[in-house]
Amino acid sequence: MEPHEFKLNEEGLRAVLPPLEAEIMEYMWKVKIATAGEVYEHMKEKHPEMRRSTVSILMNRLCERGLLKRSVETGRGGMRYVYSITTTREEFEKRIVETILNALMNNFKEATFAYLSKIKK
Amino acid sequence: MLRLIILAQILITILYLGKFGLVVVFGSASMLLLMYLWVTRHSLKREHSKLEWEDMPWLYDGIARMANKAGIGMPYVYILDDYIPNAYSFGNSIVLSLGLFEVLDREQILGVAAHEIGHIKNGDTLIFPIIAYGRYFMLFLAGAISLIVHNTIAVLASLGLYMLYEIERLKFLKEREFKADETALYLLDRPFSLKEALEELKYYEDLRVNVRASALPGIEPNIERKQKKSFMDTHPSYDERIWRILAEIEGAMFRDTLK
Repeated sequence: MEPHEFKLNEEGLRAVLPPLEAEIMEYMWKVKIATAGEVYEHMKEKHPEMRRSTVSILMNRLCERGLLKRSVETGRGGMRYVYSITTTREEFEKRIVETILNALMNNFKEATFAYLSKIKK
Repeated sequence: MLRLIILAQILITILYLGKFGLVVVFGSASMLLLMYLWVTRHSLKREHSKLEWEDMPWLYDGIARMANKAGIGMPYVYILDDYIPNAYSFGNSIVLSLGLFEVLDREQILGVAAHEIGHIKNGDTLIFPIIAYGRYFMLFLAGAISLIVHNTIAVLASLGLYMLYEIERLKFLKEREFKADETALYLLDRPFSLKEALEELKYYEDLRVNVRASALPGIEPNIERKQKKSFMDTHPSYDERIWRILAEIEGAMFRDTLK
């Protein structure tokens, strides 16, 4: 997943993901694999008004973004979708930094280089 | 009404095209019949898994109980690998998408299944394909008359009949949806579960459209959304169905109090 937007006024994952999607990803990186129902139960603690539909839509949106993948699991209780992470949080953060720095180097090469050198010192 | 329209179209075709009209009528009917048979044989894909009792006993038993109450045999139940909530029926089969199981609870899923059993019970799974292919039949005959017959009245009458068929078809399909809901209310132990399922599905659809349309900085679950309405819809809106269900349930409760 390549982030296309970086919100300077947001903290953490919210800078690159919408707030609820960021919260879901925080949880998914913790548990690695979960059903939408399990994520819903977790999200409901903080957002009591949240509905199953919201979680399902957001998780499928995260699949479209390439951060989660969906597979069918057949077991006790029948068939169901399970979602798993496609990348670790560290890898994701690394990719964000690389993407942003590449963009800065492409657009403001000298200033970026000068600033990075200054930080390095 | 639909039968009369088709009959009138056939009569016009035979009247103006004579023996060739008969060939056109039987030729197009046979072609559509073959198409229908081919489609029905290939309607199940790899994404469909047949539901066995041990997969989900609560669902299998629930459907069996409602089918028994409806006086029909146990339908085949297929689970479709699709994350978007969806349900439909054909022949003696019900298809429920996996997405339904993510957004609805058990009672609500049984509510959706009851609606599909309603379609089977009311004969819609046989009537709907005929209506759908009848549309192509009408269009084909109207096209043949427009191209071959050089009589303005015949062409206008044929095109008019085709348009009338379209209007009646939409009206008919909507009525059948309401009828399937009515049957479902009779079949369900808890009729409100169908209403709740429709509310959730409406919420899902609205939200999905909004999520796609926006960059989604935040979701307001209680936001009031306007439903788009098109005169070409074959299904009544969720709101229309919910209102009718409420009226049915309240009417039944009122009748019970009078007893």
